Amino acid sequence: MTPGTVLFLILALIAVASAIGMLTSANAVHAALFLVINFFCIALFYLGLHAPFLAMVQITVYAGAIMVLFLFVIMLLGAERISLGSTLRWQGPLAIVLVVLLLGVTIFILFSPQIGSQMPVPEVWTAAQAAGDAEFGSPASVGLVLFERYLLPFQMVGILLLVAMIGAVVLTRDELKTGRKRREAQTAVSPDGQTGEVGEA
Amino acid sequence: MFTELQEANFLVPTSYYVILSAVLFTIGVAGVLIRRNAILIFMSIELMLNAANLAFVAFARAFQDLSGQVFVFFVMTVAASEVAVGLALIVAIFRSRKSIDIDELHSMEG
Amino acid sequence: MLTESVPLMQAVVPVLPEMGLLLLLILVLMHGVFSPKESRRTVCVITGVGFFTLMVIHLSVGFNFVGDPDFSGSGLGDIVRVDAFAVMFRAMILLAAALTCLMSGESRAINRRVEFYVALIVAALGMCLMVAANDLILVYVALETASVSLYIMAGFQRDSKLSSEAGLKYYLFGAVTSAILLYGLSLIFGFTGETNFSRLGPALSALTANGSEGVFALVVALLLVLVGLGFKVAVVPFHFWTPDVYEGSPTPSVAFISTASKAASFGLLVRFFSIVWPAEMIPYWAGLLAALAAITMTLGNMLALVQKNIKRMLGYSSIAQAGYALIGVVALSDTELGAAAVAFYMAMYVLTNLAAFAVISAVEWNTGSVQIADYAGLSRRSFPLAIVMVVAMLSLGGVPPAAGFFGKFFLFSAAVDAGYTWLAIIGVVNAIIALFYYLTVIKVMFVGKAEDESRYTIRPRLAVVLWVTGVGILLMGTLASPWWRWAVEASQQLTVMLP
Repeated sequence: MTPGTVLFLILALIAVASAIGMLTSANAVHAALFLVINFFCIALFYLGLHAPFLAMVQITVYAGAIMVLFLFVIMLLGAERISLGSTLRWQGPLAIVLVVLLLGVTIFILFSPQIGSQMPVPEVWTAAQAAGDAEFGSPASVGLVLFERYLLPFQMVGILLLVAMIGAVVLTRDELKTGRKRREAQTAVSPDGQTGEVGEA
Repeated sequence: MFTELQEANFLVPTSYYVILSAVLFTIGVAGVLIRRNAILIFMSIELMLNAANLAFVAFARAFQDLSGQVFVFFVMTVAASEVAVGLALIVAIFRSRKSIDIDELHSMEG
Repeated sequence: MLTESVPLMQAVVPVLPEMGLLLLLILVLMHGVFSPKESRRTVCVITGVGFFTLMVIHLSVGFNFVGDPDFSGSGLGDIVRVDAFAVMFRAMILLAAALTCLMSGESRAINRRVEFYVALIVAALGMCLMVAANDLILVYVALETASVSLYIMAGFQRDSKLSSEAGLKYYLFGAVTSAILLYGLSLIFGFTGETNFSRLGPALSALTANGSEGVFALVVALLLVLVGLGFKVAVVPFHFWTPDVYEGSPTPSVAFISTASKAASFGLLVRFFSIVWPAEMIPYWAGLLAALAAITMTLGNMLALVQKNIKRMLGYSSIAQAGYALIGVVALSDTELGAAAVAFYMAMYVLTNLAAFAVISAVEWNTGSVQIADYAGLSRRSFPLAIVMVVAMLSLGGVPPAAGFFGKFFLFSAAVDAGYTWLAIIGVVNAIIALFYYLTVIKVMFVGKAEDESRYTIRPRLAVVLWVTGVGILLMGTLASPWWRWAVEASQQLTVMLP
């Protein structure tokens, strides 16, 4: 077993363990942190797969922005505690069946010699090949593909981010007028003043 | 560490990565099916997307084709905007009913 | 590759409607920011007229350039392909968006809230690219752009519990299925190393050339991709979101989701199945889709029979309609007429459902109710509304002289041509069952008695929608042949390989 394989197996183990930790955690904050570990492992895999640009994006966007957003919402709502769903109804068995099926199928596809021989996927990546292509995956080369061939989708995701931002604001913001009305109604209802109206109280 | 990782890892066959991605994907699917909490379901979806991304990057290296890596870049951007909208919907729901258990979303039946 | 050698026209013409939509988006955003609150009620008219103008420009430019290899796809790195098929579907999407705008102006949930129109424009933008996409990356990005905007539209009425709930349900199903779709796309990329449709076909064909295991691998990828697309068109195992979203979301959002989103998804589905999958795969996907179509039609119609809420009923009805349209995709395995039948059916379905939702909007404006029972006496309270609803219900049920008759006729005859006579028979039986609940609505409107039979007011912008859709349905139903010929020509261009 080469050192590369050992490193891969250790990282894979951490990735799978953290994913399972996320799956079984009873605390939403813990689950989010498990997922961050998982995303870090994947970023390391990207480094090994000649994708340093994606590794950086993975850490800044996924582990950084997206997971922080998750944590922010969890803490904003005070929704850390989660019931683990004591009543595992039909979903539990179904999930197990699906999981086994999906794994079996994937492993079958990958280890079937016929597909292996037909797929032009080189199974072992030699050092010589990698050295000959040091430029592959560098930020500059990714940028060239991004801005030449995929300029149109690139523009589209810009618009998508804009509409997502507008949408997030629209969906969460209280209308000023109705917001005030509701607050008045709340303060009238709750005698202990638990609505956080420090200014008005 | 940067170059060491690159040199240490490139000898692993593509299929190892794809199997790892399949394992992560199925854990994500299981999460979606088992968990009843909307935020946990969102996290499981992110795990599924990451599994697909890992497969894309592995295949991109195998074919020496950067479109796989560019695809992953787009998936990350799309995921970011999707999560923003999804969490906004969760906040809106939580305001009106103080719960994000999806089993309690049954105002409409029939 | 976009290099300097590509003339500007060649890069612009394939994405002309998208560029127009972008300008419209900027215009609407500026209008929302800078104009005083009172003048914002014009935003629905501005957006609607904008969509309509774009549709006209798109059709006139599209007809001139379509079929010209210089302009039909080589611009922008070959990731867009604009043929007559794409032109036709884009026109449907833009028309649906224009009419939805006029409807939104008369909805209390939306009225003059600029953000709704922003989401609508971006959704239309994504859909226009969906039907012209020629690359897996663009397919994914366009699909998600449309979906995210639709999630916003579905949950838009944030003071309503039902609307937020509908939005979250739509979102959860959509995000899960799109993740599964993405995994399928990663497998397809892994088998071939290609993302471009025109190169994927031969590459996948090579994979199936010898050995059944290559076919098996492709079937797995096919199933994963079908989950994502099945969600978008609401095919049966992935339909659970439909009734709740239809019931809970604001009516204009539902009108748009049920028409433009479904048309765009079918456009993508047809292109994907006619170009990407190699001939060796036909028996697998055709058999699978045939089974799905039969189940979808039957289940949708059965569940629609017992509904009391008209939006929910139309939700189940739209599931059944997706089942009918799938018949055309199945027929695609053997004859190009399948694609033409889907295109014709979708054009008819867009008009018809918009007509139905325009009537629902009008009744909702007057009474605030969406129960079928409250449609009692509609013929006396507002005869024009009742007439348009009759035309829409007859069209959905497939009764001449409404357009739905020819829609179903072309679908079923394409199925028979392709050797799926049993599927056509199931379709006919289903059409007869479906008539029952469509006619129930008509019966309630004309025979039912309401305690208060005061007259309804029809707002002027809704009147425009009612006129356009009503006349359109009858026009398509009586003079079907020019539309059909257009659809056939479009479907023939679909499989022509570009140089």
